[in-house]
Amino acid sequence: MSNRRPDAEPFTRTGDAVAVGLSQTEISVLGDLPELIVSEGDAEGRFAYVAHAEDDSAEARYQDLIGDDLDRLRATDRATFAICLGSKELSLEEAEAFMRVVGEARIVLATRLGVTEDGWEQEAAESRDPGMALLGYLGYLQDALVGALSE
Amino acid sequence: MTTPSVAPVEVPDSDQRDALDQVWQVVVWNDPVNLMSYVVWVLRKLFGHPETEATRLMLQVHNEGRAVVSSGPLEKAEFDCHRLHHHGLWATLERV
Repeated sequence: MSNRRPDAEPFTRTGDAVAVGLSQTEISVLGDLPELIVSEGDAEGRFAYVAHAEDDSAEARYQDLIGDDLDRLRATDRATFAICLGSKELSLEEAEAFMRVVGEARIVLATRLGVTEDGWEQEAAESRDPGMALLGYLGYLQDALVGALSE
Repeated sequence: MTTPSVAPVEVPDSDQRDALDQVWQVVVWNDPVNLMSYVVWVLRKLFGHPETEATRLMLQVHNEGRAVVSSGPLEKAEFDCHRLHHHGLWATLERV
């Protein structure tokens, strides 16, 4: 089982692609993310997005308009993530889908852990809770993806 | 040879016409989970904001709880809101 060198970046921009430097251990952990997201439903309402929060009839029209489009987009992201996990290189579109899935997994984990206010990061850094550790790790990965996609 | 069928034109009711005629703004709300760097990236990607403007909006969301990130006719505002939801940001619409 290989480990990423401590000085190696998990994601590095290489022109029109993103090189992936994840270890097998990291890939194994990340493989559970799609199921983690699906198992949590709407994450206590966090994924139950509304556009017209104060107008029920406008919101009903909006939901009729978008139908299941958001669910379909999220499912496509998870499928892309699952297919790409283990690849040594991602297209920019694949990297963006990867980043959204990592972000959704963070939202699910934070919901489970009861994170509702800013300022929890310090507690997470000092915590020995595995969920908090995973939340922090996924934040590190997402930030690395943002860096690679911003170059 | 077929003849083109003419579908009846749906006429919006007065409430819908009012909504369509107005300018709407898209509001992003603070949440404790999404990374600041990610929110900046999303605002740059979706709306083409320069980094300084995206960072200013992100900090406004973080410090004040919300920020208007785009505005326009209802159709555009709803499209923008949908894209923000796809990226995991909590966004809603308001009439200007």
